[in-house]
Amino acid sequence: MSDSTPSAVPRQIRLRHAAQREIGRLVGPFWIPPFVFMLRFVMGYRLEAVSELRAQYKRLREESDAPLLICPNHLTLIDSMIIAWAIVPWWRYLVHFDEMPWNTPERKNFSRTGLTRILVFIAKCIPISRGGERTQVAGVLGRVTHLLTIGEVAILFPEGGRSRTGRVSSESIAWGVGRIIAATPGCRVLCVYMRGDTQETWGSVPNMGDRISIRMECFEPKSDSRGARRSRDLATQVVTRLANLEGAYFDDRQ
Amino acid sequence: MEQSEVLEGVVKILTPWVKNRDALAAVSMETNILDDLKVNSARLVDVVIAFEDEFDIEIEDEDVDTVNTVGDAVNLIVSKLN
Repeated sequence: MSDSTPSAVPRQIRLRHAAQREIGRLVGPFWIPPFVFMLRFVMGYRLEAVSELRAQYKRLREESDAPLLICPNHLTLIDSMIIAWAIVPWWRYLVHFDEMPWNTPERKNFSRTGLTRILVFIAKCIPISRGGERTQVAGVLGRVTHLLTIGEVAILFPEGGRSRTGRVSSESIAWGVGRIIAATPGCRVLCVYMRGDTQETWGSVPNMGDRISIRMECFEPKSDSRGARRSRDLATQVVTRLANLEGAYFDDRQ
Repeated sequence: MEQSEVLEGVVKILTPWVKNRDALAAVSMETNILDDLKVNSARLVDVVIAFEDEFDIEIEDEDVDTVNTVGDAVNLIVSKLN
């Protein structure tokens, strides 16, 4: 059996997930409100139509128990933080910490200091070294697959890294997304397109004071292909959906 | 098919994706595909699918996890052919 299949996730890793979840939950009151305060009042971000977004996400979670993988476009280092803030009211994370999505940030972006390593741990992150040693990457993909299978929600960026063009890029599709979808029966994908209204291209954070637009569309990717071809096919479907959401975003802005 | 023939085919397929041309000129079984040849990891799937088409084999995702060097790719393809 492969290392990336859910049942192959070692007990030690499952215990680590449980410990990470419980510690994050326990210290949640000390880090979640300050983070939201920082996003809203220090950085000045405003979420457009946030009530509708949260209602849409709540409906998605209630209508099915099928695994849910969130696949956003990627422009800044805090995209996943903003998405977590946008889809669920922050106070719900204090009482239902399991609703906070797992995340897979690039290891080199968040491993520079002890503080960022701690934050990554309590915020349910599993760092990944993109382009790193294949078995390590496969191990992270296997962990995410396992988490989806047991009902957790995870965020994975299908473009691999932040788009250097500022637009959804089909040039660097992370086929690991396709592997996870292929290995997770019935996996739904929530495509999330997010952009600050003055954001021209990629960067560390959105511009201060930005009004942030978010569009979401859920679908179940399917492919009749096999092996690597299947993974590429599934990942391409996700990125194509994101590109369509981006097209609709810019059409509406004109 | 001889290992040397497979190696030749692997190098031919990798060539369009290689960013480090010096490493390509000195390619061997020990050459690392990502670190030495600087092939974009996101493009690895295209390389693998090209292997499938060229050698008429089927490669599973998990097989790719064992491929770090050109030699790993050659050995994988030879094992599939056999």
